[in-house]
Amino acid sequence: MRFVAKLTVILTGLLFTHLASADTQPPARWVSAGGALTEWVVALGGESKLVGIDTTSQHPESIKSLPSIGYQRQLSSEGILSLRPTILVGTEEMGPPPVLEQLRAAGVKVEVFCAAAEMTALQGNLQKLGVLLGNETQARELTEQYERRLDGQHNWVAQAQQRRSAPGVLLLVSHAGAAPMVAGVGTVGDWLIKQAGGRNLATHTGYKVFSAEAMAGLSPEVLVFTDRAQNGASSRDALFRENPLLAATRAARDNRLVEVDPTLLVGGLGPRLPDAIKTLAKAFYPADTALNAKVTPAQ
Amino acid sequence: MRVILLPRTLFIVLSVACLLAVWLSLALGPVSLPLMDTLRACLRLMGLPVAGDHLQQAELILGQIRVPRTLLGLAVGAVLALSGVAMQGLFRNPLADPGLVGVSSGAALGAAVAIVAGASLGGIPEALAPYLLSIFAFAGGLLVTGIVYRLGRRDGQTSVGIMLLAGVAMTALAGSIIGLFTYLADDAALRTLTFWNLGTLNGASYARLWPLLLVCVLVILWLPRRAKALNALLLGESEARHLGIEVERLKRELILCIALGVGAAVAAAGLIGFVGLIVPHLVRLIAGPDHRVVLPASALAGASLLLFADVFARLVLAPAELPIGIVTVFIGAPFFLFLLVRGRT
Repeated sequence: MRFVAKLTVILTGLLFTHLASADTQPPARWVSAGGALTEWVVALGGESKLVGIDTTSQHPESIKSLPSIGYQRQLSSEGILSLRPTILVGTEEMGPPPVLEQLRAAGVKVEVFCAAAEMTALQGNLQKLGVLLGNETQARELTEQYERRLDGQHNWVAQAQQRRSAPGVLLLVSHAGAAPMVAGVGTVGDWLIKQAGGRNLATHTGYKVFSAEAMAGLSPEVLVFTDRAQNGASSRDALFRENPLLAATRAARDNRLVEVDPTLLVGGLGPRLPDAIKTLAKAFYPADTALNAKVTPAQ
Repeated sequence: MRVILLPRTLFIVLSVACLLAVWLSLALGPVSLPLMDTLRACLRLMGLPVAGDHLQQAELILGQIRVPRTLLGLAVGAVLALSGVAMQGLFRNPLADPGLVGVSSGAALGAAVAIVAGASLGGIPEALAPYLLSIFAFAGGLLVTGIVYRLGRRDGQTSVGIMLLAGVAMTALAGSIIGLFTYLADDAALRTLTFWNLGTLNGASYARLWPLLLVCVLVILWLPRRAKALNALLLGESEARHLGIEVERLKRELILCIALGVGAAVAAAGLIGFVGLIVPHLVRLIAGPDHRVVLPASALAGASLLLFADVFARLVLAPAELPIGIVTVFIGAPFFLFLLVRGRT
């Protein structure tokens, strides 16, 4: 029992010394778990403070040389401690909980952010990140800019919808074309479709594997697809090779197929989503591309 | 079967291996600590008055992370290996592993329920919430094993053959229900489930450790006492009965030990494959089939294997970590094959 008591003393000591230093200055060594969150840290000028990232953090290219702490749900306490971080940021998907407890006990500030695909979540996250990075003004600016771009997009969609009804869309996530999962309610994919003025034909929550027959049965007008293993023409070919029934859908007949980057869909709303929305909206309302240039605020 | 090592030599070798594994598990990790610091911090944690004010970090890492992890590894490895011996002895079948009576699949089912539906169950006391997964896994293991045992009983006798088949069927049934929960799971629960199935010693803390250690120590102390009875059972059930062994009672005890031990191990560390199947074979290949040797030697070998695997798992991708279930098979299987090939020539 004696060493337990001793440990408590040491832990409390460490905690207090740490708290004292944390109050005076923003954290200097950052570990980030969660794709979109890492992108925001970088966007807010925190790239030089990053000392480690998880496997879902894939953007920008320059951070890929940082040490990887593994998958966000399966973090290792000692592994993270070896990077001597002052703060660990991640979404509520980060875990397992005992590891987070151990990290807190070792004096690492563990900050949990909201991964929900909602604008309010993003506003809260950016504000919190701004405070932690000592960069509140820029965080506010980025939030406003994001909102402006979305508003511009909404106006554009509203105008386009006066001429054409919203197309039925399915967003498919597959691995080399096989067993595509369909993005349902509550996912970033669903948010993306809605912002771009599409109608998500899937009504389930989360990502679910659909049979090719079920997908064809929904008769999507546009297919948005993303592949973790391939990209470009090869991923499109793989999708149709593995699911020949899809070739009979209206989307395939009219060749209304859009590819998005799979890293966009992880860890809540990221900074690259407005661009993706623009691409999708152009595909949803092809005749209105000219209008797009006029209404979308220059950025 | 040719005996490669005499029991006494084997025990010395295994004890040294186990001590080495414990030391490596304490001394190595992604945070590199100087050897002397590790040693001093260990002594300080044991309450010895060793000077060293700069040892705070070392003490924290050892005390909060490596010591509980090492204890967990020792207990889980020993229990899985012992349960493997007990299963193979009980079923007189070299392919029997602790999963055969449904304890692993039952635990996996409990875990799946806790991970996927835990949040929506409601009415769970706040204090129990962090342990929900472990409790469900443990209960699931016990429940399914209990059903398999009941199914195997007929006219006051337990038919090992029927139990074996019932175990296979219950494992399949549990598998399909897990499949259903996998389908219902959202993306997050799915990933948690996948990783749980690969096992890990990561995140071991004293609060989670004590209940498991208690169960494991009981099983580790109890099973080797049944070595003679297991030896008699090797001859066959009626022969064992003639030798004065209460076979029914022995079966009950063994099943209970396996269900408790493996249930607790799985609840604390997830599914760690292959240790229960391969370690007993390894020991038998080296030392022959006498359970008085095989039981304690398997406990030592299982504990060492798991610790070595864990050291590897935490270092190879540092600061990330491999699930240990991958490593145990990766180390164990080739070594086993090597012994098989060697034994043939």
